[in-house]
Amino acid sequence: MKYKLSEENNINTIYLNGEIDMEVVDGIRAVIFPLIDNKKEVHINMKDVQYMDSSGISLIIESRKRAKENNSKVELKDISKPVEKVLTMAKKFL
Amino acid sequence: MSIETSDLNKISEKKDFLVNSASLKDVRSFSREVFDKLKLNPDLKEELVLAIAEAAQNIVKHAYKDVSTTTDRMVVRISCNEKLLEISFFDKGKPVEKEKIKHRAIDDIKPGGLGTFFIQQIMDSIVFKDGEDPWINNLVLTKKL
Repeated sequence: MKYKLSEENNINTIYLNGEIDMEVVDGIRAVIFPLIDNKKEVHINMKDVQYMDSSGISLIIESRKRAKENNSKVELKDISKPVEKVLTMAKKFL
Repeated sequence: MSIETSDLNKISEKKDFLVNSASLKDVRSFSREVFDKLKLNPDLKEELVLAIAEAAQNIVKHAYKDVSTTTDRMVVRISCNEKLLEISFFDKGKPVEKEKIKHRAIDDIKPGGLGTFFIQQIMDSIVFKDGEDPWINNLVLTKKL
């Protein structure tokens, strides 16, 4: 899993590239959570994510909860087809 | 990878993996290779890969909970005969508490249990068995193709 980070107009965007699973999710968390804790708005760009499992869903749920507690927000952007499919399966939890 | 039988309608292949999260991408690669041989459509293939990866992840997360490193290996076997797909998992971790899983209502599922929820959505049946020596757990997933 590779990522790229950018900041524009006080919005931090993390561009994820590759497959999101249990092995890599802690690394993504370690990038996103400090931004949220600093009350930054975070966009997660998922255009180049070819696979995501329940670990990714948990990451999204935890990030949104943490953002709410910090009066910030987390948004998903450019969702790829494989990610969209998993999000649809998990929609009752999101 | 061990090939037991293989033709277009009948296939049985198995592979063992070290029990850790780094093996999950290898589990997915193995599954994709087998499903390519079965010429499954891409959407179904990726759904099945997700179900298999979630089951393997459950072994790492739950059967080996509190075990930081192990040299144990888990086996994934994918068989298809007469359009019935059977995926078996064998591990030597802590015994699965079958009743807990069996009686869990969909509405009780928390984000941590999402993997099992996905497996339930994708597969037709999920059966937890006691593993035959040397295995402790044997999970069998089936789906009519």
